[in-house]
Amino acid sequence: MKTIETRRLPDLAQALSAAGYCVVAPIEEGGVVRFREWAPGLAIAPGAVPANSSKDFLFPRSEVVARFALEPGGFSPAPVERSAVKTVVLCARPCDAAALTALDAVFNWDYRDGAYNARRQAMTVVSLACSKADEHCFCTSVGGAPDGVAGADAILRPADGGQLLVLDELTEKGRALAQAAAGTLSEGPAALDAPAVLPRRFDSEAVGRWLAANFESPFWKEAALACLGCGACAYACPVCHCFDLQDETDHAECRRLRNWDSCGFGLFTLHASGHNPRPDQSARWRQRVMHKFSIYPQKFKTLACTGCGRCSRLCQAGMAIAATCERIEALGR
Amino acid sequence: MKALREAAEKLLREKRVSLVIGYEDRKGRPAFFAAKPEDCGRLAYDASCRQNLAAYLGKPEIRARLPVAVVAPPAVLRSIVVLTAESQLPPGQVLALAVDGDSFLGTFDAAGVAELLRAKYSTLAPEPALLERVQGLLQKSPAERAAFWEAEFSKCTRCYACRAACPGCYCSRCIVEKNAPQWISTAALGHGNYTWSVMRAFHQSGRCTLCGACEAACPQGLPLMLLNAVLDREALEEFGSRPGYDPEAKPLIGSWSADDDHSYMR
Repeated sequence: MKTIETRRLPDLAQALSAAGYCVVAPIEEGGVVRFREWAPGLAIAPGAVPANSSKDFLFPRSEVVARFALEPGGFSPAPVERSAVKTVVLCARPCDAAALTALDAVFNWDYRDGAYNARRQAMTVVSLACSKADEHCFCTSVGGAPDGVAGADAILRPADGGQLLVLDELTEKGRALAQAAAGTLSEGPAALDAPAVLPRRFDSEAVGRWLAANFESPFWKEAALACLGCGACAYACPVCHCFDLQDETDHAECRRLRNWDSCGFGLFTLHASGHNPRPDQSARWRQRVMHKFSIYPQKFKTLACTGCGRCSRLCQAGMAIAATCERIEALGR
Repeated sequence: MKALREAAEKLLREKRVSLVIGYEDRKGRPAFFAAKPEDCGRLAYDASCRQNLAAYLGKPEIRARLPVAVVAPPAVLRSIVVLTAESQLPPGQVLALAVDGDSFLGTFDAAGVAELLRAKYSTLAPEPALLERVQGLLQKSPAERAAFWEAEFSKCTRCYACRAACPGCYCSRCIVEKNAPQWISTAALGHGNYTWSVMRAFHQSGRCTLCGACEAACPQGLPLMLLNAVLDREALEEFGSRPGYDPEAKPLIGSWSADDDHSYMR
């Protein structure tokens, strides 16, 4: 088995960095663990589910998608730099890696998104299997597993009581990465730790069936009462991918920006006429649940939720999508 | 806890309110909406309650169910007074179930809330730990402070959880969403992020009750209370403004007086 001591993760990051990878890893700062670019001297915090998801490095929160140079009497299109840096996400959670299937589907559906696909091509995902889960985790209810390999190019599995990590390459990209990091890996035996035990909380297919028949249920009014309509859940979600296009202009040029957007915002569906087809928060929360558990599986044969629990972990108002699904399943019985 | 639950139950049973907005007796103490007397057993209050429930008073679905009662520690009581002073609460439609620490202080209408605050909380000051953090920051040079905020604001994703958590942010169309003209860049990047957080803090000056809900709601852990505490001090020192005590007070940033200091105009 290819192994590395857990405490030597920064050496692995260093080796990959030296091999030309931009290394993204969970790093603690000010009490919050985030996926961010690793630099020498930074500790890696493999235990936590980072506050952000690894989607940030495929679909950044803001990017320029077009530029126009302003000239007297008109404008002309200007080039947009489109650089996809060779990147590795180290210690992604299996629920982050699993999200790639859902993201790939939507960014290659009616339009092949150049910016997304360029980054996706250049990205290698090294998951870290979970030895523990918290009360917000529910990957086993949405087809995942604490040691699931979907979407990953390689996976690190904790062994010897967390002292060691065993690297399994899963794809060509994973094998290239293992080769680049060969100097930091050892060959030898290791006793794999048991993955986290996470009983299934709900049956996502039963939830989908109820949703397909209950768009107008009074359930939504009551279920969304606590939601205050911010975008925190959508922005932390590894699968949420809605965006807004905004043109911002100064005296010299116009930049067309693609910014993250969220169905939780009232403005999201507000028409220029003033009409809003989702006039209240219950219609918006319904959309969020419907999209993840009914619309997406119908369209793309995959759920738009990987059970990472980030949305519920950070929501101050206590909106928890797994609890909502449990209630929906009970309604359908 | 028992007294709070009984008082809430009584309000619902006597149909004085149609909804009690409180905190639920489970981990994280999320918002809980008791619509029936028998729901009130699920209410709880302790120091781990971080949300300012007055933020719900602007939500259309809640407005449709007035009259309501709100479980309110002192900072939330002050928010209710601010909203009253700014004509944001229909008179007689909001009751406060006042709580503090382990104590339930009673059920109050808007006038009663102001009276309670004056009688019992007239000397409310920012928490010492917060003032210490402010002092630490003010000891830095302007360049160091700018670098500190630049690093902090770079984490902002513009999810606007701070705005949603704040009872003072009740505009139906926020300035950050206006684009003709555009005041604040929509990109979740350096300059726009800086402008967003600073402008939001300024819009709260003389209105913020230092409840801490914005900072608690920020998924990125931005130290927003540092901004609020400094502006709170400026509002007090420069204008004698103590928001959330007088329901008749004109909001500091929405009023003007001939006696204001004009010395900066030459």
